[in-house]
Amino acid sequence: MNEIAFDLEHQPSYASLILNLQANQTVLVEAGAMAAMDSHIQMKSKMRGGLMKSLGRMLGGESLFLSEFTAVGKPGQLYLSPGVPGDVQHYYLKGDGRCLIVQSGGFVACSPTVEIDTQFQGLRGFFSGESLFMVRASGKGDIWFSSYGAILEIPIEQEYVVDTGYIVAFEDTLDYSVEMIAGLSFRGLMTGIFGGEGLVCRFRGQGKLWIQSREIFSLINFLNPFRPTRSSD
Amino acid sequence: MEIQLLQQPDSAIAKVILEANEEIVAEAGAMIAMSPHINANTTLRQGKGGGLLGGLKRLLGGESLFLSVFRSLGRSGEIYLAPDFMGDLLVYEMQGEELIAQSTAYVASASTVDVDLGFPGFKRAILSGESLFWLTISGHGPVLLSSFGAIYSVPVNGEYIVDTGHIVAFERSLNFDIGKPPGSTWLSTFLGGEGFVCRFKGRGTVYCQTHNPGAFGRLVGSQLPPR
Repeated sequence: MNEIAFDLEHQPSYASLILNLQANQTVLVEAGAMAAMDSHIQMKSKMRGGLMKSLGRMLGGESLFLSEFTAVGKPGQLYLSPGVPGDVQHYYLKGDGRCLIVQSGGFVACSPTVEIDTQFQGLRGFFSGESLFMVRASGKGDIWFSSYGAILEIPIEQEYVVDTGYIVAFEDTLDYSVEMIAGLSFRGLMTGIFGGEGLVCRFRGQGKLWIQSREIFSLINFLNPFRPTRSSD
Repeated sequence: MEIQLLQQPDSAIAKVILEANEEIVAEAGAMIAMSPHINANTTLRQGKGGGLLGGLKRLLGGESLFLSVFRSLGRSGEIYLAPDFMGDLLVYEMQGEELIAQSTAYVASASTVDVDLGFPGFKRAILSGESLFWLTISGHGPVLLSSFGAIYSVPVNGEYIVDTGHIVAFERSLNFDIGKPPGSTWLSTFLGGEGFVCRFKGRGTVYCQTHNPGAFGRLVGSQLPPR
């Protein structure tokens, strides 16, 4: 279910999110994600929850500002595109106290009644090496998140293991722990590649998990040897 | 073993369902997510050019050094595998014949499939600066290959020419020869920016990718700050 009417086009590799706002309906959007809109839609940059919370957002790898878009007086349409080509997924927060944990770079938009918390420290284990930051969405309303590559939903019944670099979002009904699987590690072999330390997240319980089919580090690793070498002079 | 390809063609990902105690071998780093009872082991595949030296050769070839072996302990399990690049996946069923694949195209294979490093017939391609490395694949069972961009197959009957950077894999029933494009001289090949081409002869299938990773890497990489 959803409060804001929406369409997704060009999934999964070039997803574009189209929001059909009712008269005077408002949506919060990641700064810079707006691609096109009707001319009567008003935009306001907003620091939600004051300066300190906004700073927390910045530290979380998220831009400092969210933009607030309102269809003033009559319905209006808004096109949103994430910065990296890939997929977009919708989720509805029921307002029952359950939260959604989202990879911080993946936030696209949400209802104004959704609270985005970047200060929570629940995923400390993620911070080793992969620099993966997560935000917690709570409250009631719609949220959209994005990834590089396609998004796949995995319903977890008991337990599942995921490479930390591929986590897009998960329901907080799942317990999680970050661990090293030695059998996956190829660190210390002077391969000079990012990742590959065998860091995985083990989820337990019942809930939904979303993973992405590609990781941006792989592209960076590939391009690295093609960079020019610094000249000696 | 059952392999389902999802989200084709440009963000393709493979969902592999393993039976109890079945194994799949995958390029290190290809695992995205899996059932909790799947056991992982990273191994160095000892091929014709195996051992440490083979490993170094693979490193130079742009291939990661290690392969991971995943085994579903005691009961069936599932594992998601994906390549590095945006692009498609292909399942090729080995039936005792040989398949030659570009190293960057290899994602995974059944444990009943042999993957040997290198292919002697391709020494000149390595010299050409394409930094290609080749795998000789044999045995029985499925092989999962990836492409940069989309994959198309060319059934060769007679003669056919493919740029080496666009080859994903080809059947060993084909004879082949690496060289310059027909009608060109070595100088014009060099100046024209066309790489080496592979001339196939006989009957068999060549799998090609729509985009050349080397060309993409040179274009984008040259715009990045120096190392």
